Amino acid sequence: MIHQILGAVMLLYLGVAVLFLMAELWSSPRLQEVARRLLWAGLGVHTAALLGRWTGSYQLAVANLPPAGFFDNLRLVILHAPLSNFYESLVFFAWSLPALGLFAFRRYLQGYLGAVVATLACLLLAYASFGGVDSRIKPLMPALKSNWLLIHVVTAFLGYAAFALAFGTAVLYLVQDRRPRASLPPLPQLDRLIYRATVLGFLLLTLGILTGAVWAESAWGHYWSWDPKETWSLITWLIYATMLHARLLKGWQGRRIAWLAVLGFMAVLFTYFGVSFLLSGLHSYLT
Amino acid sequence: MAQKSVKPAPKSWFWGSLTSLRLTVFLLLVLAAVAVIGTVVPQDQPPGQYYMRYGEVLGGLLYGWGFSRVYYSPWFLLPVGLLALNIFSCVVQGLPQAIRRSLQPLTPDAALALPERGKFNWPAAVDPHERINSVLRREFVSFRQEALPSQELYLAERGRFRPLGPYLVHLALLLILAGGLIGKFWGLEGTLPLDQGETAQAFQVGGQSRPLGFEVRLNQFQVQFYEKGGIPKEFRSDLTFLQNGQEAARATCRVNDPVTFQGLTFYQSSYGSKPAGPLRLTVRHGDRNQTVELPMRQMVDLFGGEVQVMLVRVDGNLQGFGPAAQLAMRAGGLGHPQIFWVLKDHPEMGEQPQGYRFTPESIPLQFYSVFQVKRDPGVWWVYAGFILFLPGFYLAFFRPAQRWAVVLEKDQKGRFKVRLLGASPRNREDFAASLERLLEELKKGTSS
Repeated sequence: MIHQILGAVMLLYLGVAVLFLMAELWSSPRLQEVARRLLWAGLGVHTAALLGRWTGSYQLAVANLPPAGFFDNLRLVILHAPLSNFYESLVFFAWSLPALGLFAFRRYLQGYLGAVVATLACLLLAYASFGGVDSRIKPLMPALKSNWLLIHVVTAFLGYAAFALAFGTAVLYLVQDRRPRASLPPLPQLDRLIYRATVLGFLLLTLGILTGAVWAESAWGHYWSWDPKETWSLITWLIYATMLHARLLKGWQGRRIAWLAVLGFMAVLFTYFGVSFLLSGLHSYLT
Repeated sequence: MAQKSVKPAPKSWFWGSLTSLRLTVFLLLVLAAVAVIGTVVPQDQPPGQYYMRYGEVLGGLLYGWGFSRVYYSPWFLLPVGLLALNIFSCVVQGLPQAIRRSLQPLTPDAALALPERGKFNWPAAVDPHERINSVLRREFVSFRQEALPSQELYLAERGRFRPLGPYLVHLALLLILAGGLIGKFWGLEGTLPLDQGETAQAFQVGGQSRPLGFEVRLNQFQVQFYEKGGIPKEFRSDLTFLQNGQEAARATCRVNDPVTFQGLTFYQSSYGSKPAGPLRLTVRHGDRNQTVELPMRQMVDLFGGEVQVMLVRVDGNLQGFGPAAQLAMRAGGLGHPQIFWVLKDHPEMGEQPQGYRFTPESIPLQFYSVFQVKRDPGVWWVYAGFILFLPGFYLAFFRPAQRWAVVLEKDQKGRFKVRLLGASPRNREDFAASLERLLEELKKGTSS
């Protein structure tokens, strides 16, 4: 059921992307507004689907072991946020793109950038639906039973989403830089948006790494163990740290910053997909 | 940051390079590249692995030059050390000034030097004070008033502590690195496998036995599954700590729920299985049958010494196919043994040598618990760094500095002239929004 609803949300996001593009090409503010409202609607249904899945895994847990008392119950609710396997992480990643765009970058989310966000969300949901990803709700293995699970995954993926926004903006920047177009936002505005999205992503990624470290310390006794996922998140962090510092250097503004935002997002994608499929480690339950 | 050096001394060149942002960017990129190498080249393998995988030349180079433990080699540690030095120098250079700036409230002189953003002529007979007070209170919550001989000043600022933000973030990084070093030099880490009912006085640190300073007994070890052969639900070890033979404490150790006793922390890190008793099998070869009992790691003759078998190990759930036993078989006491698995729930699966077919009747298993045992005085430094990150990030990125002043002047006719001054060096967008609100609100006062 939820799987089918998410399939519909995926189509909706695709439609939103097309509408945003058309709105841009015909410079129609009304279409922009329609696209934006539809994106809100898609996000609403997507949120409902996430909550439905949350309820599902909570009920499975209750069936396995009925909670004793209020706090036990609350803990069970927190533990069973739908963030515990690859399918759920794809769905949440797809959710965080429009969510972050609509809440934190409302003013900029239109035209090409709106289309980029909707397309990325659509692709992630398409992967979740047709990529042969196991979508069954499964009980939690012992390592995942931690109060850190929720905050760790939420911060990490919201961070990824912010980097995706920075990436989309950077691509627009590079296009605009090569062949200036009146329909695209001016370069300084794009540059500022790259910076703002990166700062937000950097903060969230840092929080994701820190919460992961505290969690690993209580689960395995190591706050850092050079697991491939950890290492790649550090690589991503280093690239964005480079970018935030390089902005202040002469000769590094503009195009190079945009390229660093593109490189950083490649590292994000590798941290998420590449590590899960190509390298094995502590995060291997994701696949 | 641009400094004019009056006398070019070699020391100042050194200091300049050490605190330079170019060095920071360079080191960050180097660290990223070295970290990538560590995820491509397998880490912590015996030398043979590298020769096999990369050939004589490249394999030898990788192993010999420390790429098999790259995060502990100079390739990584040297840039990390330099980066720490770079950060430390920048903190030393800039922190005092940042503190001074943060402690210094906006002075009237500095305020009057701010660029002008708006100008209003108040109507005669209207007192602007009340309006300005209410507008500023809504926008800034707190502000100051100063009276100069010919002017009145309202001063407001936001993000005065912003300059501290980056320094807190970088101090946090230094704390984390220091914590890592402290853990490396003063920490202790090892493993401890325990059978149910077993008592230990020592644990394994880097292949050597080391006394715990007390005794620990595993009363009970439970492995629970949601369903048979499926996802594990819980690993639970019930421990008793003993001192001089006396029971001192009892505790339950689970994954994500470690136990600390006398400064050593026990983590439920993994578990293993071993046979609870001899393994009973039936063996078929052609139309001959025999039933044997195999104790762990002892050669047993089959069919009157024609072949010999040994039980090597057992596994509670081999690749999801249930309990399995690994056997070694040798023909007539000669030659290299052949090693193979037999599965209890799928006796038909797997190759078995020379036409012999082994079917286990049951595989009696006993789980043992494996603990990670450690003491790390550096963890608190690391956590202190984590906590310091939060105010640092907040100040650095979410409290842009804004300085505002409203200047009141009376002209000869006794009418008030109101000027709005303000600046924000880094954050144009928030500043523009504040400016728009302030101008609009102040303007309302002039029309009444």
